[in-house]
Amino acid sequence: MSQQQTKNCITLRGSAQIICEYLKFAINSVLFQRGLYPPETFKAEQQYGITLLISEDAEIKSFLTNLLTQSEEWIVNKKVSKLSLVILNVANKEVLECWDFNVQYEDGDVALSKEKNETVGSKDLKKIQQEIRDVMLQVAATISYLPFLDCRCSFDVLVHAKTDCDVPEMWAEAKPISIANAQNVQLKNFSTSLHKMETVVSYKLAD
Amino acid sequence: MAQDGDMSLFNAVIKPFRRVCNKDPPKDKLSSDTTLNFSDSNQSLKDGLNNLLSGKRKSSISMNDVSTPEKRVRTDSDSTPTAPPSPWETKRLKIDLIAAKAQITKLESRINHQHTICKEMQILFEEEKGSLVEQHKRDERALSDMEDRLQLIRRREQELKDEYNQAIKEHKEHKALWDKEKGDLQKQIADMRDKLLECSVSCKDQLSEMKKDMDELLQALEGSQSEVEMLKTEVTKQTSRAEQCTTLRTQLEKTTFELQSVTNKLKELEYERDSYKDWQQQAKTAQKRLTNMAELEKEVARLRAQERSLRDSICNKLLLEEQVHLLQSRVDALQPVQNELHEAKVKLASLESSLEEWKAAARAHGIDNPRSLSSTLDSALNGQLNATAASSQAQSQLAQLTEEVASMKFERDKATGKLNELLTVRKNQESLIHRLQKRLLLVTRERDSYRQQLDCYEKELTVTLCGEPGAGSAALLSARVEQLEKALQGYRDLLATHDQTAHTKLVETLRAESSKWREEAETLKRDVAKLRAQRDQLHANLERIGAQSQTKVLHLANNPAAEAQKQITAELEAAQEELKQLKATLRDGINVSRACPEEVQQLKQQLESSRIKLKRLKEEFTSSAQEYRNVCYMLLGYKIDRTGHKNYRISNMYAESSEEYLSFTLDDDGIEMVHTDYSSTLGELVELHLHQHRSIPLFLSALTMELFTRTTMQQVQ
Repeated sequence: MSQQQTKNCITLRGSAQIICEYLKFAINSVLFQRGLYPPETFKAEQQYGITLLISEDAEIKSFLTNLLTQSEEWIVNKKVSKLSLVILNVANKEVLECWDFNVQYEDGDVALSKEKNETVGSKDLKKIQQEIRDVMLQVAATISYLPFLDCRCSFDVLVHAKTDCDVPEMWAEAKPISIANAQNVQLKNFSTSLHKMETVVSYKLAD
Repeated sequence: MAQDGDMSLFNAVIKPFRRVCNKDPPKDKLSSDTTLNFSDSNQSLKDGLNNLLSGKRKSSISMNDVSTPEKRVRTDSDSTPTAPPSPWETKRLKIDLIAAKAQITKLESRINHQHTICKEMQILFEEEKGSLVEQHKRDERALSDMEDRLQLIRRREQELKDEYNQAIKEHKEHKALWDKEKGDLQKQIADMRDKLLECSVSCKDQLSEMKKDMDELLQALEGSQSEVEMLKTEVTKQTSRAEQCTTLRTQLEKTTFELQSVTNKLKELEYERDSYKDWQQQAKTAQKRLTNMAELEKEVARLRAQERSLRDSICNKLLLEEQVHLLQSRVDALQPVQNELHEAKVKLASLESSLEEWKAAARAHGIDNPRSLSSTLDSALNGQLNATAASSQAQSQLAQLTEEVASMKFERDKATGKLNELLTVRKNQESLIHRLQKRLLLVTRERDSYRQQLDCYEKELTVTLCGEPGAGSAALLSARVEQLEKALQGYRDLLATHDQTAHTKLVETLRAESSKWREEAETLKRDVAKLRAQRDQLHANLERIGAQSQTKVLHLANNPAAEAQKQITAELEAAQEELKQLKATLRDGINVSRACPEEVQQLKQQLESSRIKLKRLKEEFTSSAQEYRNVCYMLLGYKIDRTGHKNYRISNMYAESSEEYLSFTLDDDGIEMVHTDYSSTLGELVELHLHQHRSIPLFLSALTMELFTRTTMQQVQ
């Protein structure tokens, strides 16, 4: 018993927070790596044992906080299956790149959950962070093979939620996107033992 | 008052006691002794009462004592007579006895009466005593009250005494203060008296002085009164003189008024004289101007000439403009021609260069004449034709080859089908071989087991043979051995039937085939793995598509992409707007810049200069015209206004109002006067000068004369 108590215990909420934190850093990292915003608007921050860049732009900040607080709720309620960071050409709305963050729900530590009357996981936080770090490093490495974005680009985040999910205020339904002649690259996965995050980048293959 | 009241009440209470106990000495003063005396008086009262009661008792007792001796006496008397009583005596004695008895009864009744009285008295006395006791109690209460009051009074007295003492002290202090003040005041009074004395002395001195002054003043008054009288007399004299003066003044005023009127007249005259001088001057100037008239006329002529020249120049300018316009139109017409010319030149140049090139190419090919060129060209074309034919052939061959390839492919497919069939066959055979091998194994094992059994039997046999063998068992064994050998032989035959060498060959071929098939299978497995991966991918895609249909896509309404979109649309609109504006300006600019800008500039400058000239001319003209009009007005006395086409209105210099004007119209024959209100008043002049003399200038000068005489007459008047 005492051994189990000292074990790491991750609640559903905590797991969702970890996921959303990862999303925040991943989206910021992509925005920086893909050069959507000028590099001087980013600030270096230590996270997961590596230096990551976070946008200081007030609009991006507010957008991400709005997005991630709502997404966290949805993830806790198992409403979301996928979040897509879409990079599109502003001039003709063409989708150039799509970063899919697939969320899969896992059972966690069943025995511990029964004991606590709450779904909890028992994965070591350090291990999770290690996994996330690996993914972040991969994200940083994608710049070597992703095509150069030579037009004015902007981004949007699409949340693939269940159909019974209510549309909150300030949210709207969007059309699903598709990239013609797409190339998919699956990055490493990580799991909090309650949620499994699968990161896939699909980009338009250069002609 | 309260004390007196108390005292009277007290006396009223005390009185009966005093009556009762006269022995007590009368007490006038209220003191503690009185209370003590009260107890004494009570005591004495009680004593009194006891005495009284005892007195009565004593009296009764004394009375009894009085009677008793009598009885005793009688008894003594009874006992003493010793001689026998006589009847009379007895009778008397009897009577006496009866009397005595009667007396006794009487006395007894009296005693009883006395007893009742005594009892009554006792009752009375007790009642009185109760009442007295009550009174005593009341008195005591009253006394206690009185004592309380007394104490109160004493306290008051004490307080009053204290107050008194205080008051006395204060009084003493005040007295001391007042004494001091008194002393001061007395001192002051003394001072004041001294001062008063001084003042009185000074006052007396002043008074004396004042009296002296008064006397002096009185004397002066008397003097002044006399003077006043003198002055009055003088005043009367002066008033008379003043009256004379007023009369003189009125006279003076009259004279001054006359003087003023005279001076006014003088001024008027001077004014007239001045005006006359002015007239003279004006006349002189007019003369001078008249002399200048010739020059002016010259000038006018000059100006006219100038004007004419200017007009000519304007006409010339217009002509020039027309010419310029014509030339421009021509230039416009000629420009495209020129352009065409240029283009043609360019084309020519290019053609020449191409020709040169052609020539050079021809020379390179060793051809100098166009004919040889054509021949070579023909040969080349023929070669090309041959080549095309060959290519078409080749193409047909290619088609054939492709067809062959297709057929080959078909065959290959067929072969692969056969291959598959063969594969299945091979598999069957493999399974067969496997089965056979298994059977072989089984058979060999069986054989081995039989051998073992045989060995065992042999051993047993040897044992039994060595031991005590039964004849029957030996026979049995031998029979069995035989049987077994037979079976063995059968097996051997069976083995022999299976030809070993053929079998091995077949196996080898089969093995080779199987290895081949295995390789193929491996390749196929690889393909399968690939296909599976593809399938998985496709499944994943399908799942994604399915998931998309199951999920709905949400995003924040104000996402950066939408904002950027908005921004870019706004920018686009702004740019389009700007483009429109620029286009509009460009269009305007084209219109402006179509004509040669330098020429335009020149023309503008010319226009500006000519405008300035015109303006100056106008100014000059208006000023000269004004001057001319003024001169006419001054010389001829008429102001001539042009009121319309060929209508002229003239008003005289000496006209009385602006209403007095004449109007003329210019006809083909000459000039005619038009009827006006004013002209109707000039019937005589019209009759004389217009109808008879038929001269308008004469009429006008006559009118001038008349008006002049009229105004001058008025002025003179």
